[in-house]
This record gives sequence, C-alpha cells and structure tokens, in this order.
Amino acid sequence: MHPLTWWIWAICLAVASARFKSLALSLVVVLLVASVVYSRNEKAPWSQTFGWSLKIAVWVIGIRMAIAILIGVPVPGNTVFTLPIIPMPNWIAGIRLGGPVTSERLILTAHEAIAMACIIVLLGAASSLTSPHQLLRVLPLVIYEFGVALVIATSVVPQLVISYGRIREAHFLRGATKISFRKIALPLMEESLARSLDLAAAMDSRGYGISAKRSRYRPTSFTMADKILIALSLTTFFFAPLTLIAAIAPHILAQSFRNTA
Amino acid sequence: MIRFTNVSLVYPNSINTVIEDLSFTINEGEMVLVMGPTGSGKSSLLRLINGLVPHHTGGILAGDISVDGISTQSVKPGGLAHLIGIVGQNPLNGFVTDIVEDELVFGMESLNLPQDVMRKRVEEVLDLMSLSPLRNRSIATLSGGEQQRVAIGSALVMHPKVLVLDEPTSALDPIAAEEVLSILQRLVHDLSLTVVIAEHKLERVIQFADRVIYIDGFGATHIGSPEEILLESTIAPPIVHLARALHLDEIGLTVREVRRMTSQFRGKSIAPVPTETHFIGESVISISSLSLNYGNHQGLKRVSTEFKQGEIVAVMGRNGAGKSSLLRTIAGIVKPSQGGVELLGKDPAILKGYSRRTSIGFIPQEPSDLLYGQSVQEECTQSDKENHIESGSTFKILNDLVPGISPRTHPRDLSEGQRLALALSVVLSASPQILILDEPTRGLDYEAKSSLIFALKDFTYVNNRTVILATHDVELVAELASRVIFIADGEIVADGSTSDVLLSSPAFAPQVAKVMAPVPWLTVKDVVRSIDANAP
Repeated sequence: MHPLTWWIWAICLAVASARFKSLALSLVVVLLVASVVYSRNEKAPWSQTFGWSLKIAVWVIGIRMAIAILIGVPVPGNTVFTLPIIPMPNWIAGIRLGGPVTSERLILTAHEAIAMACIIVLLGAASSLTSPHQLLRVLPLVIYEFGVALVIATSVVPQLVISYGRIREAHFLRGATKISFRKIALPLMEESLARSLDLAAAMDSRGYGISAKRSRYRPTSFTMADKILIALSLTTFFFAPLTLIAAIAPHILAQSFRNTA
Repeated sequence: MIRFTNVSLVYPNSINTVIEDLSFTINEGEMVLVMGPTGSGKSSLLRLINGLVPHHTGGILAGDISVDGISTQSVKPGGLAHLIGIVGQNPLNGFVTDIVEDELVFGMESLNLPQDVMRKRVEEVLDLMSLSPLRNRSIATLSGGEQQRVAIGSALVMHPKVLVLDEPTSALDPIAAEEVLSILQRLVHDLSLTVVIAEHKLERVIQFADRVIYIDGFGATHIGSPEEILLESTIAPPIVHLARALHLDEIGLTVREVRRMTSQFRGKSIAPVPTETHFIGESVISISSLSLNYGNHQGLKRVSTEFKQGEIVAVMGRNGAGKSSLLRTIAGIVKPSQGGVELLGKDPAILKGYSRRTSIGFIPQEPSDLLYGQSVQEECTQSDKENHIESGSTFKILNDLVPGISPRTHPRDLSEGQRLALALSVVLSASPQILILDEPTRGLDYEAKSSLIFALKDFTYVNNRTVILATHDVELVAELASRVIFIADGEIVADGSTSDVLLSSPAFAPQVAKVMAPVPWLTVKDVVRSIDANAP
C-alpha cells in the first residue's frame, strides 16, 4: 500500500467518526483499525506508536471525564449524583465547581472524549502502518525544507519511545525507586537532538534537495488497491455505514490483490 | 585530491581553536588515518572535507579546503555528494530509509540519476559489500557489522572519489571489523579510492594506512608516514609499545614485520613467567540452565555458569551473540524464560533502591543514560545523598579516576571517557558487590582505557569484588580480565582463563600474542616481566 493511502485512509476515518458522533461506530472503527494494524505487524521501531496512541487516548478520555464531573456546566436532565458546590471568588463567576451531575452531561462528554480519542488512535495507526521515512520519500520536492523538518520531527517520535524505555531501565539499574519526569526528559532530549542533527547532516551530505528533480528507483505507484481504498475512504464523508467498510477494507484488498501485487 | 591550505577552525562561544593553520594534500588512492585523543578535533577535520563543518555546525573557518578542485566554501555539502561519501560515527543515526535497498538508492535518487544507472550500481555494490542476501531486510534488524556495510555501500553507490569514515569499527567485533577494513583496502587498491578514516583502535587499522594525520589535542598537527608518527607519539598500538619495550631498532606495523624482528625473544631460553594471580573468593552469582526467548528467536540457550569474588570476567562474542542479554538477565532487567539467576542468594529482579545499588552496579552501553544532573557537582551530591556517604566522596572517586574535571561542567560537555568515568563514580559510590559494564570502551582513546583498567583492577582486587564486562576490545581483555566467557549464538562455547581462551582463537588473539606465538604472552607487560625474570 502507498504510504499516502494509509494517511488518507486514517484521516478520512477520523473525520467520519468525529462527524457522525456515534459511540458504537467509533468503537467499531477503532477495533477494525486495530485489527488492520496488528495483522500487518512488523517488528519495526515505528509500529509501536499504535500502542502508545491507545494509551494516550485512554488518558484523554479519563481527563475529559474528570473535568466534566468536577466543573459543573449545567445540562438539564436526570441527576445521577450531586457533588458539593465549592464556592468560587466573584471574578470567575460562571464557572462552578461541583454541583449536580446529570446523565445527559456524562453521555455528551463521553461522546466528545471518545471522538477525540478516536482521532488520536487513528493517527497513531497511520504512523505505525507507514514509517515516517517512507512518507518523506513520496513527498514532492517543492516542500524540501519542510520535508527535512518533517523527517527530523517524525523520526524523533518513535525513537523517543525506544530511548525512553532504555533510559528508564538505566534509572532502575541505578536504584532509583521513584523515577521523575525530569530525570528521564533530560537525557532523552539530549539524545534525540543529537540523533536529529546526525540525520540532517547525513541527508545533507548525501545530496538531498540538491537536484530540482528526484528520480525514483522503484516508483511507489498508486495501485488499484490504493485507488479503491482512497475512494472508499472519501465516500465515508457522505454515508456513515461506509466507514465500517472502509475500516475493514485493507484486509479484503490485501487478500484479493495478493496475486497481482 | 584533497587539499587543505592554512585551515583554522574555531567554534562559536569557544576560546580554543580546534584546528590551527593546517595545510596538507592527500593524493588520489591514498588511505589516510586521522588519530588523536578524544575531543581533539578528529571528527571536525573529517567533516571539514565535505563542508558539513562549518555549513552545518557553524564555526569560523579560515583558509581554504578543496576537493578535486572544488572549494568546499563555494558549495553546500549536498553539492559534493557525487564526489565525497561520508560515513558517520553512528551509522544508525544517519539512515534515512528502513530497507537496505532503499537506503542504497537514496543518494542517487536525490541526484536524479536515471533508473537503469541506479539498478546497475545497486547490483554492483550489493556484490562488492556482500549485501545481496540482505537486500530486502529492514535495517533495524541488521547486526552492527551489517549496518556498517550498508552505510559504506550507500556511500559507494554514488561512485565517490573520496570516502570519509569516522570510527567505522568502534562498535564492531574483531571479525566484522576485519571484514569492513579489508573491503576498504580493496577499494583503495582496485578503484584508487581516496579514504580518510578516524579510529581509536589503531591495532585494527594501522597496517592499512599510507599516511597518518596526528592531532595532539593542543592545536598542533603532525603529518607523516605511520612509522614516522608512531615513533614519537604517545598514542600507539600494543605492537609499537612492544617494539619500544624490547628496545628494537625500528618499529613495525604488522604482526609479520614485528615477528621477524623479535625472533630471538621467542627462543627456548626465556621461560614465560605466569601472570600474577589474585585471591578468588566464594561464588556471588550462579546461573543455572538459563534460557531467554525473544519471540521465536532464542537469545540464550541453557547457559550455566558461576561468578566469584575477585574475578574480572570478560564476556566476548560476535555482535548479537547474546552478550548483552546475559548481562541484562544477571542484572534482573530481563526475565529469563527458563532457569534462573541467583545474585548473592537472591533473585536480581526484586532488588530495588539502596539494596540494588549496594549489590549490583550496571553501566549501560550509553553511560549518559544514567546521568540527569545539570552539572558534575549536582550528579555527585545526588549520589552522596542517596548512598548516605560523606559529602564529596563521589567527586573524590571521580577525581581519582580522571583528575581535573571542573565540578561546574555539564555532563553533556564531557568527553566520552570523562562521561564514562562520571557514570562509573556514581555507580561505585554505593560500593556495589558486583559491577557490570556493557561495552565500556566504545569511543575511548588509549589513555581513557588505561585509566579504566586501573580503576577496575583496583575496585576488584582491593575489596574482593566482582566485575563482569561485555566487550569487543581484545586488547582490553588481555590487560584486564582474569577469565573470559565466549558466547556464540546464545551458548557458552568457551569459559576459562584469559590466556587459554584468547590464545585458542586467532581472530580474538591480541597483537602481542600473535607476534609472540607460540609463547603464551598476551601483553607487553607479560613479555617484559618474563624477560626481566630470565635476565642474568
């Protein structure tokens, strides 16, 4: 599959599930996407980003729900339980801490939170399906400077995940019982900066961006499978049930195009 | 081919000139070795050749550098991509793509070469570097030696006239290093490629070099034939130290040369004196039929062994043989699939906090992983406090290891050797029973290495402790270790005293042993001691 196809697919699914605001649809889409990611599981550094995006999504939902419960925006409906109201100074009138929590308010927030989480998970899926490097290679040369910035940014993120594990392990070995953010962040930042500079230097000395045109050794062309998947993804804007078909399509396309590809 | 005319280089916010008034010419088809202590400006010199310094790093450059008639000031580094191939210190950081074949073509695509040319050159280089079986592999899954070959290959597909390599063998085992260097030598001889190479492990490269540029770290630079430079320099491979110790008239650079010069010392008249032995205490780590699986891959296969007090054990083997896996299981970071490790009678995985620090110290491959302080001082006070020892003790350990580090320095600004010393003093401040080091000599110069050897011997023999280290550095093992475990494919294939194991394998034998075979001498010290003892 063309790397751009994966990104278009993921973004379309994310937009569709955000627009239709259906809890069930979002959950099913995430499940289907997860099955696609795991069926194409390669042992590459970037394929771990999906797992991380799932974790971040859970946090997002948790924090969003906590805020919804604590900060009382009055939404009328059935009161599930009531928190004591904490008096606030006059100058922030309009914000209320505590108060009755209605089931309507919980459901509304859950929808919003899940839509947000869904977008994070889908983008995570796209970045674990295509390596950032593959994506860079198909970018048009017009945006060269932007491309360099992008490759540095994108290659840092997945490798950060690996370095994070390594540094955490080192602190455990040093006998740290509580590992603070600062202790990890400093070596991590230092290392990713050095890595990015190395990569930029390597690309520069290998002539990246020197020629106005760039030839292709093995052109990654849009195959029939790519076109079908993009078409399917785009139609999800109009019709919700198609989202499910688009989400599962990579499985079917991989099956039917195995011989031709 | 390469001409430096009165080149001086100063980095911004720095008072020291890295390079001062350097002029030299490198001819076509020459292999030039750049040597000098860490931080002396070797990497800067290499990166000046294709203009990465100062185009990429900043800095003020005076004088002129031209390669094949093109001045590096007039073009960006990319403009020289067809002329100069550059392989960085850590090839993994410089890879742009993920698949071997894609990586090889990246540079050619950037220069917009036609597809048929690319196809032909890729096949050529795959054969030249013996990469054909790996062409569709993901680079992340390759071993260190294979990655290095890919990096060199992707420079060679551009058909450069100059190849610049920064420590190409520092992360490689002796056999992989030999492979890489013999390929380079073939390129120099067959294609008249100009090669500029920086390397600390002189014993590996010196016999291939036509000329040496020696940067002494104080701004002065000497250029000459390897014999001329090594006659004077303090940095020298063991083979040269041997020639000096034996007061030979001249020095040799290859085992063959020195062997001819020293035939009289191998006569039957000199009986080798056995090396000093140290007290071996009771067992501190016992490993019983330990296996470790990563998915389908078996990292370790039914390994059983023991480590005792007063032992310095070197774990050797090729890249990916399972050395790190073994050390990490001993430290309790990796859970064994079968069997177990007993460390001072306990399971190492449950050790935490203070009890971990006092039982086992671990220096990972990147010593800087352990450090997070904003200054050396902060780092030292922190470990004084953690280990309930008198304030200033950690800094004293550091000062004994490497004198003269300012406590206000940021750990990032230390040299490789100094950073290792800082990590080591932080770990040693807890005075652990067992110390483990994973590849401690990457990027260390001879001076840093000898102070490491001294510190580890002191630690082991004074307090009867145990040191286990994984390393590729044969010369280090010969000087330091009392016992060697050789691992191949997850299994222990040899376990015995250093001289027994090292002498039984030609690839892993140190230089002195190769020169003096069949007499079982490993280091210059062994030879001198035996000769002195036999002197009338």
